[in-house]
Amino acid sequence: MSGRPWWRRVDLALAGAAAALAIVGVLTIYSAGADWQRQLLWLALGGAAFVAASWFDYRRLAPLAAGVYVAMIVLLVAVHLVGRSALGAQRWLSVGGFPLEPSELSKVMLVVVLAALLSRQRPLSWRMFALILVLAAPPAVLILTQPDLGTALVFGAVLLAMLFLGGARWGQLASIGLAGLVAIPLLPFVLHGYQRRRLEIFLNPGSDPLGAGYNLMQARIAVGSGGLFGQGWLHGLQGQLGFVPERATDFIFAIYAEQFGLLGGLVLLGLFGFLLVRILNAAAGSADRFGELLCAGVFVVVFAQVVENVGMNIGALPIAGVPLPLISYGGSATVTVLAALGLVQSVARRRRAVIHHNPQLAPSLNRTEIGAVRLAP
Amino acid sequence: MNERSPLVSLAAAEHQPRWSFRLVAAGVLAVLALGFLAVRLAEVQVAEGPSLAALARENSVHRVVLEAERGILYDRHGMPLVANAPAWNLEVVPAALPFGAAAREAEIDELARLAGIDAGALSAEIAAADPYGSLVAGPSLTEDQELTIAERIPDLPGVSIARHAVRTYLYPTLLSHVLGYVGPIDGAQWPSLKRRGYQPDELIGKVGVEAGVESRLRGVDGWADVVVDARGQVVRTLDSQASVAGDSVYLSIDLDLDRWTLAALQRGLARDHKKAGASVVVDPRTGEVLAMVSYPGYDPNLFTHGISEADYSKLVTDPNLPLLNRAIAGQYAPGSTFKMVTAAAGLQEGKITPQTLLNCPSYLTFGGWTYHNWASWGLGYMNVEKALAVSCDTFFYQVAASVGDVTLAKYARAFGFGTAKSIEMPGVEAGLVPDRIWKSVACGVPDGSSDSCRWTIGDTVTLGIGQSALLTTPLNQAVYVAALANGGSVLQPTLVHEVVDARGRVALVHQAVVTGHVPVSASNLAAIREGMREEINRPYNMNYWFRAAGVSADGGGKTGTAQWGGSGLDLPTHAWFVFFAPFARPDVAMSVFVERGELSEVEAAPIAVDVMHYFNAHRSGVQAPLVLS
Repeated sequence: MSGRPWWRRVDLALAGAAAALAIVGVLTIYSAGADWQRQLLWLALGGAAFVAASWFDYRRLAPLAAGVYVAMIVLLVAVHLVGRSALGAQRWLSVGGFPLEPSELSKVMLVVVLAALLSRQRPLSWRMFALILVLAAPPAVLILTQPDLGTALVFGAVLLAMLFLGGARWGQLASIGLAGLVAIPLLPFVLHGYQRRRLEIFLNPGSDPLGAGYNLMQARIAVGSGGLFGQGWLHGLQGQLGFVPERATDFIFAIYAEQFGLLGGLVLLGLFGFLLVRILNAAAGSADRFGELLCAGVFVVVFAQVVENVGMNIGALPIAGVPLPLISYGGSATVTVLAALGLVQSVARRRRAVIHHNPQLAPSLNRTEIGAVRLAP
Repeated sequence: MNERSPLVSLAAAEHQPRWSFRLVAAGVLAVLALGFLAVRLAEVQVAEGPSLAALARENSVHRVVLEAERGILYDRHGMPLVANAPAWNLEVVPAALPFGAAAREAEIDELARLAGIDAGALSAEIAAADPYGSLVAGPSLTEDQELTIAERIPDLPGVSIARHAVRTYLYPTLLSHVLGYVGPIDGAQWPSLKRRGYQPDELIGKVGVEAGVESRLRGVDGWADVVVDARGQVVRTLDSQASVAGDSVYLSIDLDLDRWTLAALQRGLARDHKKAGASVVVDPRTGEVLAMVSYPGYDPNLFTHGISEADYSKLVTDPNLPLLNRAIAGQYAPGSTFKMVTAAAGLQEGKITPQTLLNCPSYLTFGGWTYHNWASWGLGYMNVEKALAVSCDTFFYQVAASVGDVTLAKYARAFGFGTAKSIEMPGVEAGLVPDRIWKSVACGVPDGSSDSCRWTIGDTVTLGIGQSALLTTPLNQAVYVAALANGGSVLQPTLVHEVVDARGRVALVHQAVVTGHVPVSASNLAAIREGMREEINRPYNMNYWFRAAGVSADGGGKTGTAQWGGSGLDLPTHAWFVFFAPFARPDVAMSVFVERGELSEVEAAPIAVDVMHYFNAHRSGVQAPLVLS
């Protein structure tokens, strides 16, 4: 059949970067004393989702966008109604005995919905712009009230970035910026007490070393004691002795940095940078607008989480609970990210070809048709 | 396939991604953001790395002080007087408690329930404590509580149990004043103790021998550098050095004699409805204190086991001052017990001889003032021996007047009056030997013409009978009478008989220290001693007590009923009795003091006889040297 073997048609570099990150993740989770075998299970599930999504024709997703939106709302409402609470927030659903975190899923679901909407028009009409904002509001509020500030921030980043990449007009982007400026003074009234305290701690670290600043301080101590080369795998004092809180999830970067040092940190950031560039490359090479925006959305999801997670671990950003993609322990996040990367793969496999126009062979080919050319399988 | 589909063939040509401006912008932003994170990461790990790494070590590597066991105090025969009882305390490291408010509260509630303390109080204590320090929460745990909590420790992050020793006094009220107690370090003491390696939470001897031989009892603390996890549990020990227990200190006190002495004092006080008193028994050959009692006493265990507010205020407000060790810190006029000093001065200065006869009228007049004898009738002419035996005041007024105040004060000081004795406990008072300079300073008004500032002949004659402003303590009295007993050597009193270190080596054996010899010839001293022997052998008087108790009156004694609280005729009095025995080769010298005693012959003297009753029965025991294994 096809002239090219399957491994030539998938973006091996993207898959390789993801696999490398997953391996680093399992090693770090092991060093954190968390359930690394269970993480392997999540990775297996996520790998299956990755393969399935890359084989699945992403274009069949666009018509399903309305259904995806409804499913997202249902899941987020269910969390509020029957979710399990932990650490002062109601975030988990129990599905067949496994904890499911709908806010993790919702990040990618939002990407699908926005990609479908934005790919319809270019340039974006004000009506569509307003519709998108109206549609984005309910899930955002549902997430913010769990409360889950981290996911809400990722939500906001996805919305903004996809509007930007989806061809929103400068005026539309400016209006959002203006609304943001107006909203900032209202922030203290919207944020939960602990979220406000985290912000205060970020602005004035050391004001409360025992209370809200404890996590931040311990994470920074761990990162700092990693030094240039790190203390070695399983040899981080802070991580091994349990001084870093949430050390398999939110603060996993801190104990990674303690064990592997600046060198390891740069390798990790490099891997993420490489992965992000491959995702953008898939977007740029997409055969259609929907695929491009799908990739762009996944790019933002990964990018926002990496920046926020690493940023808060090193004290460069306020604390907001987001996982470090593929590194942090967690089923919902791991499977979701791998499925999303599978979608990117799906786009990459069906990438646009540049047809060297040969009127003799295809005299009537126009641009639209070129966009529809299917490469494989 | 290529042949079948020209379209596919076309499409198989190299693909070329189309980077829109906005995609490029997103890519640049991503690279910049990751670059920014990399720079910040380098700052934290390289620039701040060493200081943060030091914080990590502080977090997890702790130097634990291994408290040295405090030395045990024994009596001279090796009877233990104190014990280091094991006790357990709850320790909480606030920073290591669960971070979440609910989990934290739940743990504090659980902890309070297990330890039987108030959760609100515990919560407040934790909130106020140093977050990274170890807070000792609540009172000591019972053994049951300790076992229950120890089992739960794995579920209670930030909580540990500290085992330590609580000083327990085995003969609480009996030896309270001798042993004293240990307690936390005062803020004022801290700077100097810190230099000597004390820990801020260490217990230190506060009063009594516990304080006096602190450096012997303390031992040398050991240490261990341990790695602890975030829950405060020790993961491993890096390095350590064991502690060295404090020395065993064998006191000169004879436990049984001391017990008897207190009982005798209590019996005597009860018989005469008196509230307070003291007695010191010394060996006049060595200066070793065989018994020291001060009544009322207190239970020093209250201080080491945690005293309640009510108990403490009861102790400090008690009008009988149970916390005052009268034996060393109670300062009273010696009254007639001082007459041996006046006699010694008169004889040695040649003002009288043992044969000189002086009249003993009921009163004499000096400088326009009248000074009375205790008897309202004249007792006739008598020599110094008789004068001591009947304690004639007017006899000694005359001697004092002829000797003069300066010389009299010199003799008083030679017998150890006005000197704070160097004994192994803090708070020893000197008493007071008044003189002209003292009076001019003490009166406070720089008016040389006033009798309250100027030394008068009245001061001199009353000083001769142990009044004026003269003050002494039961300990000074015992040392004084010991000097009369042993032929004139003023000894340094001691409470320490022997010290044995942790390895069982004898570190110190007490040797008698003579601080001075009284400047009195042997024959003059003999005359004074005869007077003291005569006093206790007068029929129908003192001798009655000896006969009644079946104790041989082989020794010398002197009573004293000292007025206090001003001058005049109807002043309150204290009763004294000083005594030594046997007469020829004394091995016991003692002072007995009855606060507010009115008749020394019937109140103070019988107590000494009571003590001698026991002492004679067990005399061999006292002389037996302490044999150590």
